[in-house]
Amino acid sequence: MRRRPAYLAAVMRNLILLLALAAATGLTVGAAVSLAWSGGALGANVITIQRCTSTGPSVIQNLSGSTVASVTVSGLPSTCGGATIQATINNHTTTASGSNTVPAGGGSVTVTFATAPAASTAEQIDVVITGP
Amino acid sequence: MSSSQAPDTMLPHLRVAVIAVALMLGITAGATVATGYAETLNLSSQKLTPTRTCVVTATPSSTTSVIDASVRQATSTTNYGTSTTNDVASSTSANRRLYIKFDLSGCVPTIAASATVRVATLRMYVSTLPAACRTLDIFRVGATWSESVITWTNQPFGTTINNPATSSRTDSFNVGTPAGCENLAVGYITGADVTTDVAAFVAGSATNNGWMIRDDTENSSTARTTTFSAKNLGTLAQAPQLTVTYVTVP
Repeated sequence: MRRRPAYLAAVMRNLILLLALAAATGLTVGAAVSLAWSGGALGANVITIQRCTSTGPSVIQNLSGSTVASVTVSGLPSTCGGATIQATINNHTTTASGSNTVPAGGGSVTVTFATAPAASTAEQIDVVITGP
Repeated sequence: MSSSQAPDTMLPHLRVAVIAVALMLGITAGATVATGYAETLNLSSQKLTPTRTCVVTATPSSTTSVIDASVRQATSTTNYGTSTTNDVASSTSANRRLYIKFDLSGCVPTIAASATVRVATLRMYVSTLPAACRTLDIFRVGATWSESVITWTNQPFGTTINNPATSSRTDSFNVGTPAGCENLAVGYITGADVTTDVAAFVAGSATNNGWMIRDDTENSSTARTTTFSAKNLGTLAQAPQLTVTYVTVP
């Protein structure tokens, strides 16, 4: 029974030594409440999302009376051929969308809206080409 | 129990302590690896080409987002800001020019100054074409002007014929009925590219005072007139337009 304090002291010394070592190395990193994310590379690789064209296609409205029935997107290169093109128009009151497929050789494509919004002084038309 | 047995008795306690601390460190290190430094990131990527287009249209005719007027040399102090047509003409002492401006602040959301303008096109509806194919030049206007005040006499570019020089034009297009002419039928013209100007307006490196369009060679001995539908015609299908296609991430 007289030996126990000596063993305990030895154990305590080792524990203190190990905890000090742990504090000096990994605990600060491991105990982070939040992980700051400053962008850039994650892990070993950086993946660049490619586009089928780096030049902007022209977008022209096609009217039906006082509404915008469709838009014609032109100036599409053949590298966009076969891609899905989606257009959404916003006249600041309502939105409408439609989609179509870019011809194999590129060129132009008309996207008809499901519901034709009224033409206004300034419309915003978002075009997203996915693929090919 | 001899003193040589002490270490053996101590070892189990020490092992437990070491394992406990090692386990703590292991869990900590493991958590760090799992959250911060993924070795691989699987993405099922596709090519995405997003663009946004703002179309500014002179509708209704009362809008202030678009202002247009023609100026006429033969009636040099008369304002044509409320005319339903705008002429560009080349004719001795009777030349006509067209001034037009689109307010980009009507685009919602606002086009950010950091945006990259990919294409900007001026669209105007030609209702009468000259019998000869004429080249019309587009110039960026460098001074303010008012739709209700501008005349041939007070126009920003002055009254000198064939001024400014063709070399300073933003772009040009051809119009006329002869076969082979770029725009030979009634309808919206093509080929009026104002991308560089609009990019400068958006970036803030130039002030948007609109454009002036004149015949490339004024003072033609035979009158050559091109007539465009003006904002005040009030016909949506013929309203002047500016389309600006841009991206916010290059």
